[in-house]
Amino acid sequence: MARLIRTEKEVEGRVEEVWLVVDEDALEQWPAGPRNIVGKPATRNDGLARARGQARYTADLQFPGMLHAVVLRSPHAHARARKLDFQRALAAPGVRAAIGPGDAPELSDLCEYQGSPVAAVCADSLREARAALKLVDADWELLEPLFDSEEAVARGQLLEEPRRRERGDYERGLAEADVVVEAVYRTQSVLHNSMETHQATCRWEGDTLEVYISTQYVWGVRSEVADALGMPADKVRVVCDYMGGGFGSKNSPGEYTFVAAELARRTGRAVRCALTRREEHVAAGNRNSTIQRLTVGARSDGTLTALGGEYVNAVGADGWISMTEGPMLMLYECPNLRATTYGAKINLPPTKAFRAPGFVEGTFGLECLLDELAAKLELDPLELRRRNHSDTDPMGGKAYSSKNLEECYRRAEPHWERRQEVRSSSTETVKRGVGMASQVWFGGGGPPSYAWIRVGSDARATVVTAMQDVGTGTKTTMAMVAAEELGIPVEDVTVAVGDSLRGPYATLSAGSSTTPSIAPAVRAAAADARQQIEEMAEQRYGKGKEFDLRELLSVLGNSQILGKGSRGPNPAGMTVLTFGVQVAEVAVDIETGEVTVDRIAAIHDVGRVINPLGASSQIEGGIIQGIGHTLSEERVVDLESGTILTTTLDAYKLPTIADVPEIITDLVDEPDAQLTSLGSKGIGEPPIIPVAAAIANAIRDATGADIRSLPISREEMLRALAEAREKTRGAAAAV
Amino acid sequence: MELLRPSSLEELDGALPIAGGTEIVPLLREGLLDAEKLVDITGLVPHGINGTCIGAGATLAELEVDPQIPDVLREACRLAASPQLRNMGSIAGNLLQETRCWYWRLDYPCRLHGGDRCHARDGEHREHAIFANDFCASAHPSDVAAALVALGATLRTTSRELPVRELYRVPTADDRRTTTLEPGEIVLELDVPAADASAYLKAMDRKRWAFPLVGVAAVRRGAQTTIALAGVAPVPWILDGPLDESTPLHGTAFKVEIARALVERARAAVAG
Repeated sequence: MARLIRTEKEVEGRVEEVWLVVDEDALEQWPAGPRNIVGKPATRNDGLARARGQARYTADLQFPGMLHAVVLRSPHAHARARKLDFQRALAAPGVRAAIGPGDAPELSDLCEYQGSPVAAVCADSLREARAALKLVDADWELLEPLFDSEEAVARGQLLEEPRRRERGDYERGLAEADVVVEAVYRTQSVLHNSMETHQATCRWEGDTLEVYISTQYVWGVRSEVADALGMPADKVRVVCDYMGGGFGSKNSPGEYTFVAAELARRTGRAVRCALTRREEHVAAGNRNSTIQRLTVGARSDGTLTALGGEYVNAVGADGWISMTEGPMLMLYECPNLRATTYGAKINLPPTKAFRAPGFVEGTFGLECLLDELAAKLELDPLELRRRNHSDTDPMGGKAYSSKNLEECYRRAEPHWERRQEVRSSSTETVKRGVGMASQVWFGGGGPPSYAWIRVGSDARATVVTAMQDVGTGTKTTMAMVAAEELGIPVEDVTVAVGDSLRGPYATLSAGSSTTPSIAPAVRAAAADARQQIEEMAEQRYGKGKEFDLRELLSVLGNSQILGKGSRGPNPAGMTVLTFGVQVAEVAVDIETGEVTVDRIAAIHDVGRVINPLGASSQIEGGIIQGIGHTLSEERVVDLESGTILTTTLDAYKLPTIADVPEIITDLVDEPDAQLTSLGSKGIGEPPIIPVAAAIANAIRDATGADIRSLPISREEMLRALAEAREKTRGAAAAV
Repeated sequence: MELLRPSSLEELDGALPIAGGTEIVPLLREGLLDAEKLVDITGLVPHGINGTCIGAGATLAELEVDPQIPDVLREACRLAASPQLRNMGSIAGNLLQETRCWYWRLDYPCRLHGGDRCHARDGEHREHAIFANDFCASAHPSDVAAALVALGATLRTTSRELPVRELYRVPTADDRRTTTLEPGEIVLELDVPAADASAYLKAMDRKRWAFPLVGVAAVRRGAQTTIALAGVAPVPWILDGPLDESTPLHGTAFKVEIARALVERARAAVAG
């Protein structure tokens, strides 16, 4: 029976109280361990189509008469367009229409960063549209830009009020400490670099707007577009079949969608608006840079007595304040804590969620700080972390629905014990070491999400849900769960996703919530169909009789069994989180500053693992993206103009396959007994979280240099080594 | 835009020559080059490797695996770009590539573009020059050029023969060009003399597919060792004095430290 509940809903640390209609999750959880299908490695059911180039992404769609739209972007970091004249642009060859501020949401004459959308032109060809863009005459009133996040905080130029979190008595905690360590950590701004750039193609079918879009949230786009255009939501159809990556940057429609929709309305044609790679590096979002002033106090046995943090997130012109303080609040049992997070509003492109937003940055600071404390206390870093393990949620004392971090630590031991051997393989110029870092994140998902299933007379099934597969293997996961529950081969399950007209609601793919939200709904739908099949069998063959599924279902002819399922509620009064630990081995060339990551062991606790192959792929992807964040990626900005200088793939340095170390994946694979009929949590974000700190701590182990700033470029590594030499000399002189 | 495939070099007709296209196509796409007509010279310039003679159309991928090629050049090819780019890119095209200076690539009105300012000197310049950087701080990106300069290789073009070193010039207020190639002049062949020992070492921001922060080419003949550097000046740079004579900018000082280490290693690698 449907039940209306008032519950907290969390997405990437943002919690809101909402009303939800849920069905009870009535199914018994499967016992732990691999089953016939679930828990065993499965290749992607769409892998061949992707590899052969047959998969159709939004970027591949072509419609008859389709026009191409390009966006006029502000050349200034802070300015107002006093006048825009489209006359010359409209007269240019192939041009069909032009729109400006007020014509579509997100086009604005007030520009608060270089690259902000102002106007748009569409033409028969992309080339003609681009040429016409240069003919839009604009008269700019220049305003004073501000790029420095600390200056913004000093001036009170904030996105919203600073977020203050406190527990216990922070001052008393510091007073009780035998040792206090303070340090300032800095992280850079990095770019998502989705392979498929942000884009949408819109067309009108009568009074229905069709939006073909590369998105992480079909239903969010539907409601945002409907709201913005003042349309009934069911008159907006949103389609996302194959999707080429988002990493948090594709949760909303974006100006390209509104531009395409409005120009499609004006021209009566399909209109495509796709960002170029250069635009992608400017206007598609970023992980904001941070400055973290951290303090830790501890007793001589390592027990934490106080944790303090002042975090400055350089959010840009707009965006949100990600939870940089999250790891400090959630990772350790420390009774006294004070954290303040500022969202500095500056004239740079707005931040967007990026794979574990805040937690990647905050874990770098916190877990490096813990190692600096361990060095001061002469304690083993792993032991220090164990001593501060939290058995209940340190924010409020709620029970965890499940937590196997101690098991992760136990499994980390053999990797951690390699450090003598690794260190002793150092040479005169190449120093080797081992470092570790822990991880906490959300990832429990939640209601609502729905799935339907059709089972035909050939005993094949189709799962239908308007969930999107953002490239993580969601379609395969859903097929596995449905096949397991129905007792049919996984090859006999087809999955149809990504169409708001043709499937039921499913949640956004963010916050590692896709699998834990939709997979239980799929199982429930399959169980519903299975129950109907069993009822059929009982009537046909008698109660409790064995039956052949194909023979039974053959009576259906062209008709089908229909099942429906939904995601049940999360366990009331419990905290649902994911945990993990990574151990990194590095080599540092102390003359050239070259850092090589040789090996990373990743041990994660995400509940039941449905597809071990998909999970290890996610871990590898997260670690590789983390290595880029740690060593080579940086959005470089010209601080005179606010221009992003790294707008091509040679200037902005993502890791290549040659930068990828040996990666060892170990998943605890213990179903969360409190969470859903599957006990599965998400794995998308956890593996990127501890990478930077594990590498930085390994560098300290190898060289004695304190890394407090990302990326660890050649110059940063050489600077840290020089500082360490200076410190050693100073210490020697003092003796 | 038209792509022409004439039967001889006499028929270029002022069109923009293109071979592998790995440099020309991005420049066209970004509007840094403008051309109505492209002329594909792939079939018109010599290819292949014959002893010390290399056709201008030889790809980097061919050079990196050919045992006739001196170590320094093979290694410079192997460490350049990505396999896909090396499969397409010709050696002559590699020599003629433009700087990666982000201001220049974003079409800032900088001195190389005829303006009156080097934006990199005042702005972001961690990838820029430590030598000859007073007028323009751009860094020459070619690993291959440094190797050829160290080898003392020569070029034959449609109009002359010259040492590779003389293909390049440091830009000045009067003449902003970084090469001495005349309009319509096409590189045909290179002569790459053998060495007793040679090596190329490269520091970059990731393990592969990055332009050199510092590239060091070392070539020894008898007791004489020649060192040339990539990524440290607006042109490939012969190191004929100590690195202390470099004039690094605030953000490029680290390159001097890296160069010092790599030069020492390269000298050791080619020592007799």
